Amino acid sequence: MSAEAPPRPPESVLQRRLALSDLLDLQTFGELAKGFAELYKVGVKVFDEKGNRLADIKVGNGDFCGYVFSFAEGRRCCTATVARVKEGPVGPVQNARAPQVPPGLPLRGMVTVPCFTGLRYLVLPILWEGDTLGRVVFGPFTPEEMGDLPPSLTDLTPGIDIALAQGHLAKIRRAPEQTVAKVMLHFAQLLEALVAAGQKTYLTSQVHIEATLESNRDLEAQNRKLEALNIRLKEMDRLKSSFLATVSHELRTPLTSIIGYSEMLSEGLVGPLNPEQTDYVRTIMDKGDTLLKLISSILDISQIEAGKVRLTFDGVLVSDVVTSALSSIKPQAQKKGLMVDTKLPPRAVEARADREKLRQVVVNLLSNAVKFTPKGGWVQVVLTDLQPQLELGGASGYRIVVQDSGVGIPADQQDKVFQSFYQVDNSSTREFGGAGLGLAIVKSYVEGHSGVVRVTSEVGRGSRFEVVLPAKPPAPGSVIPPPASDGGAQVQDRF
Amino acid sequence: MQLNHAQRELTVKVVYYGPGLSGKTTNLQLIHARTQTEGRGKLLTVETHDDRTLFFDLLPVFFQTKGGYTVKVKLFTVPGQVIHNATRRVVLQNADAVAFIADSRRSANQDNNAYWANLHENMRENGLDAAQVPIVIQFNKRDLPDTKTEEELQETRTRGREPVIGAVAIRGEGVLETLFAVIQLAYRKMDEQAGLARNLGLSEAGFLAQVFDRIDTSGTQVAGWLEQLQKEEP
Repeated sequence: MSAEAPPRPPESVLQRRLALSDLLDLQTFGELAKGFAELYKVGVKVFDEKGNRLADIKVGNGDFCGYVFSFAEGRRCCTATVARVKEGPVGPVQNARAPQVPPGLPLRGMVTVPCFTGLRYLVLPILWEGDTLGRVVFGPFTPEEMGDLPPSLTDLTPGIDIALAQGHLAKIRRAPEQTVAKVMLHFAQLLEALVAAGQKTYLTSQVHIEATLESNRDLEAQNRKLEALNIRLKEMDRLKSSFLATVSHELRTPLTSIIGYSEMLSEGLVGPLNPEQTDYVRTIMDKGDTLLKLISSILDISQIEAGKVRLTFDGVLVSDVVTSALSSIKPQAQKKGLMVDTKLPPRAVEARADREKLRQVVVNLLSNAVKFTPKGGWVQVVLTDLQPQLELGGASGYRIVVQDSGVGIPADQQDKVFQSFYQVDNSSTREFGGAGLGLAIVKSYVEGHSGVVRVTSEVGRGSRFEVVLPAKPPAPGSVIPPPASDGGAQVQDRF
Repeated sequence: MQLNHAQRELTVKVVYYGPGLSGKTTNLQLIHARTQTEGRGKLLTVETHDDRTLFFDLLPVFFQTKGGYTVKVKLFTVPGQVIHNATRRVVLQNADAVAFIADSRRSANQDNNAYWANLHENMRENGLDAAQVPIVIQFNKRDLPDTKTEEELQETRTRGREPVIGAVAIRGEGVLETLFAVIQLAYRKMDEQAGLARNLGLSEAGFLAQVFDRIDTSGTQVAGWLEQLQKEEP
């Protein structure tokens, strides 16, 4: 199966290292950060491990930082500080130091980064399952103990308006470092809860998708297997029909000779026979005939199934066809002591049909009737006049009804008797012989004439087969389509 | 195994496999409870209302080596219900080792066999060579009636090369022993492939000691096994 399956996606989400943006609903998270920044009046920035900004809320420092930024040296130092905070190592190196907090507070790797202006930033790594997924930056804030602007600012920015700068500075939150640190740890806890929930949602939904794709792969592989099997079955079916046609033909040829030579023997062409010999030779002929009929049926059905049968329509006197068919089954009927009743309309019925095939339809129905009717019963054949037929959509047509007082067909099997090789009793000890092809041939030929055949029957009371045929079947109607294998209507391509 | 030298990171994947209700999640819950917070992540579990694993559980256990490598051992469980085969296959992808959690009861024999076959089939589908992926068998629920005898377990041992460990996961018995055995085999396999001892300076005893460093092994055989291992190591 795996060889046929489409390639799967290279890697499951379970193998991938997840980024912070996979785990957080960025909008919800942005709102949380904003709420925090506004409540505590301190700027909040969040970066993922690649330095992408996931949240950036500034509070109060815009004027002050803007003013410092307007001095060339101020701009340079400001840029360096921002870079340090955003990209520098989250550890007590490169100008950063451990925050001043009471002992015992779990710092989770937090560091303080002082700004040359005297302001401060706190930076906290976002740790998840041993990975650093990014960092949170709080600030800048004014440390509570800060007095005048430090020389690190005033020396670098000659001409700075101290009063103006102090005025801007007043808008920035002044707080003890440990207070900001505690707020930040609280923020980290919330962030962790969000990441945990986000991870659960993200992984489960992704794995669900992967599992669905996986099931789909399985189904596709199975489909391909079934398709291949189906193609093979169709091919076998075609081979079977072709084989039957060939074998039937090969069987008929020697059989014709057997019957022919027996006929010559029985007619005394090579010398007289005594009565016992005549009787034996007749039996050979009889059985030969039965065998020939059976082989013919097999040939017919295999040709129908191979789609090779062509009908040729001619003007036909249906009454004559019925009479002729009747004459061919009369001997068997007489042998069984059956009463055969015929009802023909007063006027001859003329229609377009394939004479031979039509005759075979009637013969098959009649020989079934004779075969399945016990001694002393009756068989009736009725032909109606031409008249509009409901089954043919009101077109002019005729009916041939073959009825008997035989064993009947159980209701649940009446649909199946028209299938090839179907026998109501298919046990090896069954009472009635035959290959189960007669009715299948009837159905194919009747449908080849655009007609309808159906059966009504009652077990123990008899059967009634009714064939409705049009007086003028649609013109070409030549090739009988082989029975559809799936039973569904085929829709032709539309575009 | 995912070994990323640039990020100095080694990720090991261990999958707990087995029939439904055999105790896979219980194993992970116990490991979670016995591990200090700094050494593990959260236990991710998605359960249905009847407390059965819907998709999978995930518990990461991690440590830093002296050489500065982050080692993450990711423990997964698969859903046991028959219908979730596709999820089982997804979770099983790239497994470094498998802990097969079987139910010791005799009545569960058929289920155990079915999931054993399912494990091998899914390995094949995933392109994993069953002969190359170490498996440890845990016979769980040793406390229940109808459980197999020690002789029967012994017979299972002789029938294959997989180590077989008895357990009562719900009481914590055999859980860390199973974890030890499966990680030990995973280590040997990875060492064979990537030379962990040579390239990362991670010996078998060192590796296992660090995995269990933040896990409470009291009352289990693991502490003794670790000691033994350290003594044997040159």
